[in-house]
Amino acid sequence: MGAVRGVSGALVGAVARTVPWRAVGAGAVVGLLVVGLPRMLSGEPDPWLALNLLRGAALVFALGLAFLLDDPARELTTPVTTPRRLRTSLRVALVAPVAALWWTAALALVPEEARPPLGAITLEAAATVTLALAAAALAVRLTDEPEPGPSVAAAVLTTACLTPLLLPFHWDLFVPVDDPRWDAAHQRWAGVLAGAVLVWAACGPEPLRRRRVLRRDRPAGALGRPGA
Amino acid sequence: MSAVMEATAPPVATDEKRRGRAAVLALARFEARELLLQIPVALTLVFYVGYTLYGLLFPEDGMDAYPALQDVDRATQSGPSVLLGIALLVCVNRAALRSRRRGTDRHFDVLVMEPWRRTVAHALSVVPYAVGTALVVLGAFTWQALRPGAVGHGSVAELAVAPLFVLFCGVLGLLIARLFPAVFAAPVLVILLFAVSVFVSASTGDAEWSRWLSPIVSENSNETLPSDLIGRPAAWHALYLVGLVLLFVTGAVFAGHGGRRTWPVKAALAGTLVLTLTGAVGQGQGVSPELTAAREKASTHPEKDQTCVRHGRSEYCAFPEWTVRTGTWAGVVDRVQNLAGGSAAEQPLVVRQRVEARYGLDGDGTIESSTTPHQVTVGTRWGGNRIPEFASAVASALVAGDEAKGGELCDGRVVTVMWLAVGGASDPLSDFRHVRLDDSTSGSAIVLSPTSPLSMSAGQTDVVREVLSSRPRAEVTSAVKSHWDELTAPGVKTADVARVLGVEAPKEADDCVGE
Repeated sequence: MGAVRGVSGALVGAVARTVPWRAVGAGAVVGLLVVGLPRMLSGEPDPWLALNLLRGAALVFALGLAFLLDDPARELTTPVTTPRRLRTSLRVALVAPVAALWWTAALALVPEEARPPLGAITLEAAATVTLALAAAALAVRLTDEPEPGPSVAAAVLTTACLTPLLLPFHWDLFVPVDDPRWDAAHQRWAGVLAGAVLVWAACGPEPLRRRRVLRRDRPAGALGRPGA
Repeated sequence: MSAVMEATAPPVATDEKRRGRAAVLALARFEARELLLQIPVALTLVFYVGYTLYGLLFPEDGMDAYPALQDVDRATQSGPSVLLGIALLVCVNRAALRSRRRGTDRHFDVLVMEPWRRTVAHALSVVPYAVGTALVVLGAFTWQALRPGAVGHGSVAELAVAPLFVLFCGVLGLLIARLFPAVFAAPVLVILLFAVSVFVSASTGDAEWSRWLSPIVSENSNETLPSDLIGRPAAWHALYLVGLVLLFVTGAVFAGHGGRRTWPVKAALAGTLVLTLTGAVGQGQGVSPELTAAREKASTHPEKDQTCVRHGRSEYCAFPEWTVRTGTWAGVVDRVQNLAGGSAAEQPLVVRQRVEARYGLDGDGTIESSTTPHQVTVGTRWGGNRIPEFASAVASALVAGDEAKGGELCDGRVVTVMWLAVGGASDPLSDFRHVRLDDSTSGSAIVLSPTSPLSMSAGQTDVVREVLSSRPRAEVTSAVKSHWDELTAPGVKTADVARVLGVEAPKEADDCVGE
C-alpha cells in the first residue's frame, strides 16, 4: 500500500504538470467574465439573462475542460504500468477542486434575486462539463491522436449550438425557470449526466488491441499531412 | 551580357509571382477540402441546407404562400447559417494552428512559400463556403419570389449578409489563430464575443449605432412594411461587413509569427479600417426625418401613397407593392357578400390597405378601426388566419355599416357576422376555430380582425358552431337572405337569430363578454 501511495505521490506531481492548466484557466476566466458582465450594468438584474449566462459560463468552462485529456507525450505514456483509467481520473481529481471553486464564484457573481435554483443549475453545469469530459475520453479511446482537444471542443460547441434547435419540444433541455417543464427538463439533465458518466467510465481503460476504424494512417516519422 | 539579363529579368519576376499565386490557390483549395472533412463543418452545412429546404417544402403557416420579399431577404440571415459560421470559425482556427500543433512550423520556414501567403490561403479557403451560402440564400429567395402570392422587393444588401457573415466568421477564426496562437482560444472566445455583444447592446440601451455593430441585426417586429418604409441601413451594413472581413484578413497577414509588416500591408490595414468605420458610421445614423415623415404619412393618410383598383362593385386601394394582391382580396369580399341579403348584397365597399409604420420594425402597433362607412381595412400580410380575419372585417362592415361599429357589436348580429365571414369558406368550422384567439369552438372568445377585434359570448359561439356543423349551407344561406333585415336589426336577440337559422337557442340570455 505504501509503495502504491509512493508511486501515486510521484504520479500526482507528474500528472499535475501535464494538465493543460492554460486551457482550463482560460475557460474559467472567460466563464467568470461572461457571468460578471451584467454586474457592470445598472438596473434590475434579469433572471432569464442570468440563467442563460450561467449556462454560457458552464459551456465555456466545459470547452476548457475538453482539452483536459490532451497528452503530448501520449505515445510514451501508453506503455507505462499505471493504468490510463488511473491517470485520467487523477487529472479529473486535480481539476475538480478548481471547478468547484470556480462554480461557486460564478454563482456568487449572480445577484441573489436573479439566481436560478442552485441545485438545478448546478446539475446542468455538471452535465455539460461531464459531457465535454466524456467526449474527450471518447476521442482518446477511439483515436491515436495525442491532443484531440481542439476537435473535442469544436464538437462540444457545435453540439451546444445545434441541440437547442434540434431537440423536439417535449425533450427540451433549455427551459426558463418559470416554465412548467422545468422539473421534467432537469430529470432529462440528470439522464444526460448519467449517460456522460457511463461513457466516461467505458472509455477509461486503455484498449488491449487497437481497431483500425477511426485511426489515421500515420507512418512513424512522418509528422503531418501535406498541408500540415 | 547585362543587356541579355535585363531583357530576361521581367518574365522571371512575373513567372515567380504567378507561381506564388498558384501555390496560394492550390493551398486554399486543399484547405477548403480539409474543412469539408471536419465533422462540425460538414454537419452544420448539411443542417443548413436541409433546414432551408425543409422550410421551403413544408411551410408551417398558410401565410408562407404569400411572402413579402422585403421580409424574405432578411429572413435568410438568421437561421442555421449562423451555426455554419461558428463551425467555420473554430475549424479555420484549428487548421491555421495545425502546423503549430504538429510541430511543423520550422519545416515551413525553409520553404519558398512565405508564412503570410499561407495565411492568405487559409482566408481564401473560406470563400467556397461563402459562395455556397450565397447559393442557398439565392435559391431560397428565388423560390419564395416565384410563389404566385409573392409581393414586394428584396434587397441585395440584405441577401449579402448571410454569405458575408460566413466569411466574417472564417477570417475571424484565422485572426484569432494569428493573435492568440493557442488551440483553446477560439472556442472560448466565441462565447466571450457573444456575451460582450449582448452586454454592449444592453449597456447602450439598444442604441441604433451599437445595435448595428453586430454582424446580424434582427428586428423585434413581425410587421410587414412597404419596402421604402423599412429603413434598415442594409447597404451600409454590407459595407461594414466587407470592411470587417478585409480588416481581419489584413490583420491576420500583418500579425503573429512571420507576419508581413511591409508598407503596402500597413496601408491596406489603414484602408480597411477606414472602410469599416465608414460603414459603422453610415449604418448608425438612425431614422432620417424624411423616413419618419413618410412613415407618418403612410400610417395616417395611406390614400396619398396608394393606387386603387376596381374589381366588380368594390374598390381596392393598396400600396403600390400590393396592387397585384387586390384580386385575391376581391375573391374573399365576393364570397362574403354572396351570403348577404338585402342592400348589403349589392353594397359597394372600399377595401383600404392600412399599416402602422410609425414605430418602424421596433414594435408592433395596432391599427384603429375605420369609421368611414363601408370601408374595410386589410393588412399587409395575407394567407392562413389573415383570410378569415379579413372576412370577418368585411362581414362586420356589411352588417354594422362600418368597422368601428362592427367591433362594438354584442347582440345577435354577431352570429350573422360570423356566418357571413366563414359560412362560404371551404372548411367553415376550421376557419371559425382559427379566427378565434384561443382556437376554440366553445365558450366566449375574441375574434381577430385586421383592426379592433370582435367579442363573442358562449351562447353566440354555440349557435354559430351548430349552424356551421349541422345545418346545410344552402338552407342557411336562403334563410339569411330572406330574413336579412331581422338578422341585422340592432338589438336582435341571439335566441331569435338561432330560431331563424334553425338551431337550438342558447340557454343564457345575451350578451357580451364582460357585461
